[in-house]
Amino acid sequence: MTGVRLEKLVKRYGDVQVVHGIDLEVAEKEFVVLVGPSGCGKSTTLRMIAGLEEISDGTLSIGERKVNDVAPKDRDVAMVFQNYALYPHLDVAENIAFGLRIRRVPKEEITRSVTEVAAILGLTDYLKRKPADLSGGQRQRVAMGRAIVRHPAVFLFDEPLSNLDAQLRTQMRAEIKRLHTRLGVTSVYVTHDQVEAMTLADRIVVMSGGRIEQVGTPMELFMNPVNLFVAGFIGSPPMNQLKATIVAGADGPEAVLGSKACIPLPAAEGLHAAIGQDVILGIRPEDVLLDGDGERNRVPIELELVEPLGSEALVHGLVDGEPFVIKTDTYGDISHLQRITRFHVDAARVKVFDAASGAALYRADGVAGQARGQILDKARARAPDTARLSLPETSRGQA
Amino acid sequence: MSVPPVDPALPAGTAAIERTGAPLVSPGASSTLLPIGTDASTDAVTPPPRQGVGERLRWLGRHLRREWQLYVLLAPTIIWLLLFLYKPMYGLQIAFKDYSIFRGVAASPWIGFEHFHTLFGSDQFLRALKNTVIISFYSLLIGFPVPILLALMFNEVLNKTFRKSAQTIVYLPHFISSVIIAGIVITAFSPSAGVINTALGWFGIEPIYFLTKPEWFRPIFIGTGIWQEAGFQSIVYLAAIAGVSPTLYESAVVDGASRWQMMWKVTVPCILPTIIIMLIIRIGSILEVSFEMIILLYQPATYETGDVVNTFIYRQGIQAGQYDFAAAAGLFNAVVAFVLVVAANSISKRYSRTSLW
Repeated sequence: MTGVRLEKLVKRYGDVQVVHGIDLEVAEKEFVVLVGPSGCGKSTTLRMIAGLEEISDGTLSIGERKVNDVAPKDRDVAMVFQNYALYPHLDVAENIAFGLRIRRVPKEEITRSVTEVAAILGLTDYLKRKPADLSGGQRQRVAMGRAIVRHPAVFLFDEPLSNLDAQLRTQMRAEIKRLHTRLGVTSVYVTHDQVEAMTLADRIVVMSGGRIEQVGTPMELFMNPVNLFVAGFIGSPPMNQLKATIVAGADGPEAVLGSKACIPLPAAEGLHAAIGQDVILGIRPEDVLLDGDGERNRVPIELELVEPLGSEALVHGLVDGEPFVIKTDTYGDISHLQRITRFHVDAARVKVFDAASGAALYRADGVAGQARGQILDKARARAPDTARLSLPETSRGQA
Repeated sequence: MSVPPVDPALPAGTAAIERTGAPLVSPGASSTLLPIGTDASTDAVTPPPRQGVGERLRWLGRHLRREWQLYVLLAPTIIWLLLFLYKPMYGLQIAFKDYSIFRGVAASPWIGFEHFHTLFGSDQFLRALKNTVIISFYSLLIGFPVPILLALMFNEVLNKTFRKSAQTIVYLPHFISSVIIAGIVITAFSPSAGVINTALGWFGIEPIYFLTKPEWFRPIFIGTGIWQEAGFQSIVYLAAIAGVSPTLYESAVVDGASRWQMMWKVTVPCILPTIIIMLIIRIGSILEVSFEMIILLYQPATYETGDVVNTFIYRQGIQAGQYDFAAAAGLFNAVVAFVLVVAANSISKRYSRTSLW
């Protein structure tokens, strides 16, 4: 088995610790994406896996072998860099063959491997060109070719698409996905682009401040973020966040916004919030209804701007003075969007987070049980005399 | 792509924007489409194509009014170049004249290529030319790679203190006056108290009069030049090495390259353009052998191998007062250097895509 296992992995530069003991297991053939903002430690983690950074503490295993002190060349990994790292003096064929030549692979085998890889990546016509004569996308394909040709146990990608324009990025993303499906090699991919993470990953690891915030499939992270950081990072546009207070309503708990708008909280297993607790409501831009009816769930919005994107549009406005984005279908016309003064919330999809810690208070699947337990303790400590809400199990799977 | 009509009311050279929001088109340049939002007054930057002299002068006037600050900044350098490099060229004509210091440059009579005939008929000049070529060739052959090797070696030293100390030691001779360097060399090779002869004496070798023996002049001169300048010249290559993307090394490490392989397969090829530029510059000055060091080290006994074109010009021009004859030798030197630079540049451009211009 050639998975990758990180146990309590730590990276320190002098007295500064940048990766704080992370645990992660990447299964064989799995495509795992490390995502997070700049400085979150994702690239450092990847470079520790590659052997380009020393591991300060913890254990790194590739397959069954502990590789903490194994030289990069002996780890059986190949890495694709953000700026391609192509040798400017070598042509495409020589660049792809570089690793094989270093390892003194017989010439005939090198020629055969390079031809094969070039065919896979559509580089056959460019084999004699220098990197300077290639487009960004072609250069990135050469960089991938250099990784593929060695048949490594693990592929490491360090923001490989960041230098490409938007259109090419989408194209290359699909190519990477196809390549992974075809080759089935365990891959660890670093990016700060959540769209890349969502589209490529079997599992996403969201990192922040040198720690893992959440690990899960793209849809798990999208549907059940464990905290506000993950909620804000996954999804485009990001989840809207509204300050609210929990009150006891006639049919159950409700969240009251600053504008006094009232949103009944969906009844589901595991909402642990106290009456009077300050919370943040997480509302995805696409979970908003513009044609809703009635007083309940109705939130007033001060319209600022409508951005038409073709089949859909983004409506920017202010709710309680905070920015709020709505994503809606246009049906070929955006004139009706210019007159929006209020919207209805799909209450079943509202996420609830503790205002103080940012941790999710509302989970249906128990994925973030530990985080939820911690926040429960904090909530109880803050409001020991308030009643704990036990909600009926009716909207399972939505929260 | 169709070209939108140009409004005749617009001044020549001014770009027009189609009302439909189509690209901007310069008149007379149907294939040059500029994106929307491009400054419509770009005519101040690019001269209008295919215009008369009057129109071009008007464009130049507009351009100067617009960019005068840049030309003010440029002026001191241009004045310096004109005054010290171009104005003296006026005096080059004495190479073709029977120059008299009393008649002056302009009034001296023309004598055509007579000085050049004399020059190539002079054994002394031909000897100086031969010595110049031999000394330059060996300086290039031995001296040119040394700074590159030094830079590569410094790059491999991981201990910062050791590296900085070593760098300081090899840079130091560059900052010492040539007179002092020559003094050190003369003392070191002295047959009575010189460190070299003393060391040779330990092995029972009789003292050698190095600086009076023609066969030793060139090795001593070339060695001194390398000692004095190699360290300082390595700075250029160290800067080039610093410019190599670290990811190339990281990529090579992951691919399994050793430090030795990285040096030869990554560092050297990546600094090759710098090496070629430096080589072109060196080839251009192949006839410019270090004049003052030769003057300081040579003596009549070593003229046979040590007299070069520059020292020949000095002796003939300054000491013997034959300014016209020396100017002819100097002009010959300059023409050869010019031809060599152009040739080296063209060859480099053709085969390595690296060139000075």
